[in-house]
Amino acid sequence: MAGTIKREQTLDKLFAAITFLAAFMVLVIIVSIFTSLFRESLTAIDAFGFFGFISSTAWDPVRENFGAATTLYGTLITTLMALAIAVPVALGIAIFITELCPKFLKPIFSTAIELLAAIPSIIYGMWGLFTFAPLMGEYVEPALQGIFEPIPLLGQLFSGVPLGIDILTTSIILSIMITPFISSIVRDTFALTPVQLKESAYGIGATRWEVIRDVIIPHSKTGIFGSVIIAMGRALGETMAVAFVLGNKHAIATSLFDASATITVTLANEFTEADTDLYLSSLFYLALILLGMNFLLLAIAKTFLARKGKA
Amino acid sequence: MSDSIMTVKNLNFYYQGGVHAVKNMSLEIKKNQVTALIGPSGCGKTTFLRCFNRMHDLYPGHRHEGEILFEGSNLLERKDITELRSRIGMVFQKPTPFPMSIFDNISYGLKLKGIKNRAELADRVEQALKQAALWDEAKDRLKQSANGLSGGQQQRLVIARALAVEPDVLLFDEPTSALDPISTSKIEELMMKLKQEVSILIVTHNMQQAARISDQTAFMYMGELIEVDKTETMFTNPKEKLTEEYITGRFG
Amino acid sequence: MTEIDKRKIINFVALSFSCAAAALGLFWLIFILADVLRHGIAYITPALFLNEATPPGMAGGGLKHAFIGQLLITFFAVLIGVPLGILGGTYLAEYGRHHLIGRFISTLSDIMISVPSIVIGTFVYAIFVKPLGHFSGYAGSLALAIIMIPVVLRTTEEMISLVPWEIREAAFALGAPYYKVILQIVYRGAATGIFTGILLAIARIAGETAPLLFTSFNNMFLTTNMNEPMPSLTVTIYQYAMGPYDDWHEMAWAASFVITLFILGLTILGRLIIRWKYKN
Repeated sequence: MAGTIKREQTLDKLFAAITFLAAFMVLVIIVSIFTSLFRESLTAIDAFGFFGFISSTAWDPVRENFGAATTLYGTLITTLMALAIAVPVALGIAIFITELCPKFLKPIFSTAIELLAAIPSIIYGMWGLFTFAPLMGEYVEPALQGIFEPIPLLGQLFSGVPLGIDILTTSIILSIMITPFISSIVRDTFALTPVQLKESAYGIGATRWEVIRDVIIPHSKTGIFGSVIIAMGRALGETMAVAFVLGNKHAIATSLFDASATITVTLANEFTEADTDLYLSSLFYLALILLGMNFLLLAIAKTFLARKGKA
Repeated sequence: MSDSIMTVKNLNFYYQGGVHAVKNMSLEIKKNQVTALIGPSGCGKTTFLRCFNRMHDLYPGHRHEGEILFEGSNLLERKDITELRSRIGMVFQKPTPFPMSIFDNISYGLKLKGIKNRAELADRVEQALKQAALWDEAKDRLKQSANGLSGGQQQRLVIARALAVEPDVLLFDEPTSALDPISTSKIEELMMKLKQEVSILIVTHNMQQAARISDQTAFMYMGELIEVDKTETMFTNPKEKLTEEYITGRFG
Repeated sequence: MTEIDKRKIINFVALSFSCAAAALGLFWLIFILADVLRHGIAYITPALFLNEATPPGMAGGGLKHAFIGQLLITFFAVLIGVPLGILGGTYLAEYGRHHLIGRFISTLSDIMISVPSIVIGTFVYAIFVKPLGHFSGYAGSLALAIIMIPVVLRTTEEMISLVPWEIREAAFALGAPYYKVILQIVYRGAATGIFTGILLAIARIAGETAPLLFTSFNNMFLTTNMNEPMPSLTVTIYQYAMGPYDDWHEMAWAASFVITLFILGLTILGRLIIRWKYKN
């Protein structure tokens, strides 16, 4: 009997230790991602520094002069534009699901929207390259150009030859990809609004929209903010969809119809072709910067959502 | 007076962070009797109950002082908690069927004890279900999931599961508070029958229940034992004023 | 126009916008799926699955090598990722649930789920491909496993936490040691949820391309040697789509169709299981 007890206790400790090691792997992986990317970036860090690197618009593999400004610019501009499109649409969808959708349709409709997030990015790329970009280049963009180009200042944004392989197309595709992330989190936080709160607003004669605007949305602020940041992180790191339709051009774009490059596209296209140490190291440096931005954003979002959870 | 199966001597219990939940309790648990623990919420009766099968050992930072004598030694000092727990079974407030068949639920404790013989297992399962007055309802669905049983049946299943390992003592922590009146009366009948084989310690909120089924009642208040006596005496002629106020419903 | 009328009009406009947004979301889904179906279905032939690649322009080529490569890479990724994820999730939900380190790792996993997959690819390149000096199927599996671990881990943690604590105490009260309580009771109670989590994690990694670009790379030939560069459906789609040949594009569409069908099928199946399980 004593032997069995001893054995049980040993097995118990062993199992606890195994599970702990498995969980600890997460920490190990994250720390090694940071350290190994940092180590691989050292050559480029030595050569260009930090501010030098992110402010330089050079990307010249032949002369081995690299800077992150063009790709950072491309990354940020496509991400911000995607957010500008996705946030209102996602809020509209969340409002539709929580307030307008007939009950029996709710699960079906929610699943349909979330399927947009399940479609792999390579499929968005295929569809973007062969179907959506030609449509944009042939019909949508010339039409936009016709309307906006004559307007001073604003016209600049719509100048150039609309080919469809550009910032506008990329941003729209990105916006479709991130919409479900925002709408599903926002829908969940909308649903947490206390019924009494809504009913008391209806009780004083508010319209449905006024209840949404003055009660539900203010009550869900943190959830909306958190979801937007999570979507932003997602857009920053999106690779394949963007690789198909952005054109991979290292330049500061001034028109929505210009091709551009993001950090992810540059990595996807050039990583296996980098023939010198400094070139490869600069690519690792880009990856490190992307990781840093992403991690920071997500940490902020987590803190916000966690605080909401406690309150 | 009958024999004691367990004797609590100067028991103190502190939760992590120092909350003194059980204060200097001393109590005799009588063999083959039902002892009821009553008292207002938060008086420490559940905490006290959980000391008997060392449930508190699951959570770090808690501390016992004093002793609970069981078979001549202090069970708070025993090293073989596993063995102890199979001698002192426990039934919880909410039914706790395991996510497996009715048969596997009952035989789980037996398998833990190393019984593998199928015939013996089947025998003991049948016996336990009969003891818990569940055999007639369950005999045709032994292979079905225990989650399909009603709340009252689940609670009897859990009692059968505890009985299958042939414990000496059964601890009940408000076993009927989640059940309807009919299921409650079935469980109460069961407990009164079971005391021939096991000694029972029950925490209850329901004073009528304590009066109906117990032989001895202990009244706790703010971690202290205020009064303990034969149930009849306790409910007709309490010695302490606090007890009288509680059982007549003036607070609690 | 009275104030009330104005408010009613605003209400109508705002709610119409909401319906329009919902319609737009649905429109994109149908547009993309219909497009993949339209382009892909015509090229779904036995040859696609049974033949290997032929030189561009030569008829009768297939993607057998890519299908097999994809299966192998995914299989090994699951082999590494699932046990680690389940065990780690078990720690977070059981032993570590009151420990600071447990909470910390749980939050960290949430963040890790959102790390761009291409960054994982560069990481595996740095620690695995570069030291060994060549691309390999194993490297691809490792990258996908790293993506999978936090997903499986967090689902396991959540599903295990749904098993009522009293059930564990009831098992302890029968004298069961903790590891047996977990293995025999908690896992049983959480099995459907964990299984669904694994399905969804597989759906997620099956569509990944970016982390494979510099790990398993690509290969025009059939190989079952995980130590060699290995083709995958997704990288093949990328390569074929970007290539100049029409028959490459056709095959890229066909492969897109298969992979979309597989992933959406898994995703919907997973959701149905969850709904069925947690309704009862």
